[in-house]
Amino acid sequence: MRLLVVEDDRDLNRQLVKALGQAGYAVDSAFDGEEAQFLGETEPYDAVILDLGLPKIDGARVLEAWRQAGRKMPVLVLTARDGWSDKVNSFDAGADDYVTKPFHIEEILARLRALVRRATGHASSDLVCGPIRVDTRAGRVLVNGEAVRLTSHEYRLMSYLMHHVGRIVSRTELVEHLYDQDFDRDSNTIEVFVGRLRKKLGVDIIKTIRGLGYLVEPPTPV
Amino acid sequence: MFRGFSLARVSIGTRLFVSAVLCSVIILVGAAFVLSAIYRRATERAFDERLQVYIQSVAANISSKNTSNAVDPYGLGDPRFTLPLSGWYWQIRIEGTAPQNVMSSLSLFGGRLPRLEDLHIQAREGSSREGYIIGPDERRLRLVERAIELPDGARYLVQIAGNADEIEQTILSFKKALWTGFALLASALGVTTIFQVRFGLQPLKRLSGQISAIRRGASDHIEGGFPHDIAPVADEINLLIEFNRDILERARTQVGNLAHALKTPLSVMLNEASGQDSLLAEKVREQAGIMRDQVNWHLERARAAARAGVIGVATEVAPTLAGLERTFLKIYAEKSLAIETHCPADLKFRGEKRDLEEMVGNLIDNAAKWARRRILVQTEAVPMIDGRLFLDLIVSDDGPGLPAEKRLDVMRRGQRLDETVPGSGLGLSIVADLASLYGGNLSLDDADGGGLRAVLRLPAL
Repeated sequence: MRLLVVEDDRDLNRQLVKALGQAGYAVDSAFDGEEAQFLGETEPYDAVILDLGLPKIDGARVLEAWRQAGRKMPVLVLTARDGWSDKVNSFDAGADDYVTKPFHIEEILARLRALVRRATGHASSDLVCGPIRVDTRAGRVLVNGEAVRLTSHEYRLMSYLMHHVGRIVSRTELVEHLYDQDFDRDSNTIEVFVGRLRKKLGVDIIKTIRGLGYLVEPPTPV
Repeated sequence: MFRGFSLARVSIGTRLFVSAVLCSVIILVGAAFVLSAIYRRATERAFDERLQVYIQSVAANISSKNTSNAVDPYGLGDPRFTLPLSGWYWQIRIEGTAPQNVMSSLSLFGGRLPRLEDLHIQAREGSSREGYIIGPDERRLRLVERAIELPDGARYLVQIAGNADEIEQTILSFKKALWTGFALLASALGVTTIFQVRFGLQPLKRLSGQISAIRRGASDHIEGGFPHDIAPVADEINLLIEFNRDILERARTQVGNLAHALKTPLSVMLNEASGQDSLLAEKVREQAGIMRDQVNWHLERARAAARAGVIGVATEVAPTLAGLERTFLKIYAEKSLAIETHCPADLKFRGEKRDLEEMVGNLIDNAAKWARRRILVQTEAVPMIDGRLFLDLIVSDDGPGLPAEKRLDVMRRGQRLDETVPGSGLGLSIVADLASLYGGNLSLDDADGGGLRAVLRLPAL
């Protein structure tokens, strides 16, 4: 899952990027409205954390611009203004959730998980497919009830595929959603990760569709 | 309530009307007296002229000694001088002789006319005197007398008297016509004054109507042209309203900026400390928490202060509720709540949209925290006996409800009954404070399904 953090306060931005990275997300960051608008319109983020009080372009304007450009990623608005009228305005501008400062990072993490889950059409924080269960709250993957130890890159890959169960996910899409923009993108590394993941899981659930990408599918009942 | 009479409180219309009517009456009465006096003089003069003609005729006959006719020795040719006590008399005194040497008209019937000179009446011109006397028949007479000296040295005093009633009759009928005419004129002036005052004060009436519309919230500025003398007042009022809004907007922006400026560093501190277990981190967490509460409390106070004195604003309730409904459906998307709102389309709240959102937002938020799956928001207009209009905004949930003895506590500032449900605990007390600022109130009771029902009463339009 790849996120964009837009916050003009350097310290808060750093804290958010760090905490989100530890939670298994690939994170880009922007410090003003202009940069944020450009990134949001060009990069395929799975969710955005957006501060409203931004230099250059106001956060609410950025959000409106994204929605007008047809960008549908879930947006979590972060603001010091906690009046209900500010909330109504944010939601009407296209926000999906709202957190007021000061906040605890844990709250942001919980809301983000819920946003991503809802955006991909999942009702529960546990993503289940056949013998595989991904507990997004704890950041764990279980096979037949047994926890499997995964690196953060492997978890990210598994989590993304499980969020999009039943849909073919191309390598390019995986690269775009698993790495932040500064990462050296080489789609070959994806093949290496998928190979390792298959070995660790021990069950054949990630299928390769030649020329298109990968597919995680619930096993057809025999 | 009884208020004593004070001139300062008398309406401009009454002042203009009363002063105009008083002036008209004083001028008309004065004019009537002056006109009567002039008319009396003119009438007396005309009467005297007639008597003077008789004197000249008598004088001519004296000098020609033509006094052969016993009945009318001086050929005056007027039968009234021969009728006894007719009110018309003549009398000739031969001066320098005994007093009995007097000739008089038959009508005088042996009586005597007094000398005006003896009554100390000054001669007006030449040797002629005019004046009023009481005649032998107790009637008021107009008497003209003139001294005549013949070339042979004989001196006569010729006196002619006429009935003064004739003068009084003429003057009386003139006065009647005059007073009737002036009375009609005065009432006509009074009626036109009413129209003038109404017409003249009409722009003021329009201005006051527009000001009260602004106060009610039906309009946000004074519009339309006004006469030069009160146009500056209308402009000043518009500027004042705009100034009031500017100040409010500035205060709010500053409060918002302050919130942002304080809360971002607080977030950084809290997050920096949250990953550590040291005593310092614990202290930072605790103090940052206190600071957060303090900031929230004072920001809320500042907002409330900025609210006081808002005039001329009204907010449509239905769209505001719709906006909040959209918001809450997203905020509580996880809980799959059903929020049902009912609101008459044309109902307006007499106050700021922001404040209505703050109050209703907090009520629905509180309901959403406790509701199992359903929140009902109803709105109805409540006309008061004194003609004012209020609206009741009723938010009910299907949650566990709140015992009666705890209801007052939650509306007191800073109270939070259940620490496990997120929220600053200020919610309902903010609603109660804001509502009372607008002259409304918040009350809590049981909803039909057993949950809590909050009734927010606010001034409406």
